[in-house]
Amino acid sequence: MELDEFRSTLDSWLDDHHDELAAHHDPHASLDDDMAHLSAVKRAAYDAGWMRWGWPERVGGLGGSSLLRAYLGEALASRDLVEPGIYSMTEVLAPTMIDYASPELAAEMVPRLLRGDETWCQGFSEPSTGSNLAALSCRAVRTDGGWRVNGQKVWTSLAQYAQRCVLLVRTGTPESAHRGISALFVDMDSPGISVRPLETMHGVEEFSEVFFDDVDVPDARMLGDEAQGWAVAMDLLPYERSTALWHRGAYLHQRFGRFLTDVPNGAVDASDVGEVFQQLFALRARSRTTQHRMHAGDPLGAETSVDKILLATTEQALYDLVLDGLAADLRVGAGSSADRWRSEYLYSRAATIYGGSAEIQRNIVARRLLGLGSDR
Amino acid sequence: MIEGADRDLLARSMAHAVESSTGEALDVALGEVGWRDALVDDPRTAVSLLFELQGRTGASSSSLDLVLATGLGRDLAPVAAVVLPKMGGVEAPGRARGEALDADGIGTPGLARASTTIVVCETDGVVECRMVSTDLLTVRPISGLDPSLGLVRVTATDVPGTASPLPAGAWANGVALGQRAVAHELIGASRAMLALARDHAVERIQFDQPIAGFQAVRHRLADAHVAVETADAAIDAAWDDGSSLAAAAAKAIAGRSARLVARHAQQVLAGIGFTTEHPLHRYVTRVLVLDGLLGDARSLTRSLGGELLRARQLPAMLPL
Repeated sequence: MELDEFRSTLDSWLDDHHDELAAHHDPHASLDDDMAHLSAVKRAAYDAGWMRWGWPERVGGLGGSSLLRAYLGEALASRDLVEPGIYSMTEVLAPTMIDYASPELAAEMVPRLLRGDETWCQGFSEPSTGSNLAALSCRAVRTDGGWRVNGQKVWTSLAQYAQRCVLLVRTGTPESAHRGISALFVDMDSPGISVRPLETMHGVEEFSEVFFDDVDVPDARMLGDEAQGWAVAMDLLPYERSTALWHRGAYLHQRFGRFLTDVPNGAVDASDVGEVFQQLFALRARSRTTQHRMHAGDPLGAETSVDKILLATTEQALYDLVLDGLAADLRVGAGSSADRWRSEYLYSRAATIYGGSAEIQRNIVARRLLGLGSDR
Repeated sequence: MIEGADRDLLARSMAHAVESSTGEALDVALGEVGWRDALVDDPRTAVSLLFELQGRTGASSSSLDLVLATGLGRDLAPVAAVVLPKMGGVEAPGRARGEALDADGIGTPGLARASTTIVVCETDGVVECRMVSTDLLTVRPISGLDPSLGLVRVTATDVPGTASPLPAGAWANGVALGQRAVAHELIGASRAMLALARDHAVERIQFDQPIAGFQAVRHRLADAHVAVETADAAIDAAWDDGSSLAAAAAKAIAGRSARLVARHAQQVLAGIGFTTEHPLHRYVTRVLVLDGLLGDARSLTRSLGGELLRARQLPAMLPL
């Protein structure tokens, strides 16, 4: 399937099925509702085949370019059928499974994620190691036939909904830094796991603390080899800054379009509106290039930090404009539209924090792209 | 399309021309390496190669005339020039008064050598092209921030010109092609400034270590890199998209990025970068003037925002 054909046939399918795919609740009002709606959309898109394009046949896909996945998420986000923050976890975690899980495990598990039967989470950050991922201390020790995990994760998105977790653990010595990390694919209903959701300032229990107390994980659930966890994480992060980011850009466009219809006359300066449009234009241009590089099979690496910096800057600029333009409505307005703008404004404050902070991204650019050497 | 070995050959010969000559000599050299033919065959390749090179090296030429003429759909004989809009603006520089015209705009250095000059006039919404004998125009050198560009101020009051029809949208096309060219030049100059600052940061030792080790310096340079890459992606998208709106957006982004890169590079280069002993100053003043050619970032951005607020909807975006 070529992109043009995919685009036109998908567009007409979405037109025909809009009523059954559209949310019949206020988006962002309840994460439970958002998650249930997401599963329904993924299921419908999977059953109709759309969700399977761009994924290899050995994990239940129909093959074809990753551009097809990029367009599917764009089309869904542009029509306000999904919120990319929860939709695009698939883009981050499925490629990791395809690259690092045993073929049997990937074939068994990935279709469940694509079909919306399951939610997966990503256990990376810890209370004492946020940006300094290589210093993580959640520990796994060898047992007969597997690993026993003890420790804690935090900022684990959607953990309370998740059936599985891609978990980074320390299997080397405490001093082994990035060389002593392994990755495990853990069932979230394993005995010894407890999840405590954290309420965020935008009113959504999006992420959780996750505690591991003598959790047994079989050998077959190791992703890659022992001590290969850093490679797993480094391969995963660029995905977070490619297709998932393209989806988010499409969503921001859609919200900017909505803002242009909502904003009262004279509420904003034309210059500010023009600049946000240009930032969105540049973000789309950059991310589009990255999509085409991925399609061509180029390895993605440090240069995707540029995409992430651009996304975070653009997202905050957009919602700063929204705050100026919908000043009273956003601050004290009643109704679902005001609630949604409020929630999104507050969430945009985190754009420079999550997924590798703005400072970490700039450190990556300085070291890896500009060759400025170590900063220590 | 100029591709593969042909493109490499053109790029190499152009690089040699731009690195070894500037001004009138560069105009001649570009003719010799076939740049004018390339401009007709494949404007994207010809424009992007030349203007990036000009930006990077600081060389200047009168090629913007040819670019504008190509956008207008005119075959520009070697002797003709085109009057550009006034500094900062995008409006046609001329105004017809019956058979005669008034003009106020900018010319490249080649204008003085041209026997005939194209003055595009917009009068009560009607756009037309007038060919004016150059010796009827008042031409004064512009010194300003960057005299080395060799720009001239062009004015005329009530001078005769031969009318010559223009297809609909020709002026907007000419401006859009010119904006893409200037955006490439801004990006080339931005890359040069970033490279100068980056090399200095790695070599300059303070407090017993290269200043590249300090996060305040690293993050300035990282932001400059992001700005260059952003402008680069935007100009590529503007070519793919082909619209006037995208060209203006890319030009504004390139202008704003260049000013940000200039500020960070200047700060990292500190004292030495403020002297004429270091090449940075030439790029800093160059990008300030280039930002003003064919619409400065501020005016283009304000006008774009005004259009969006009037239409209250987003224009079609470049598809994946």
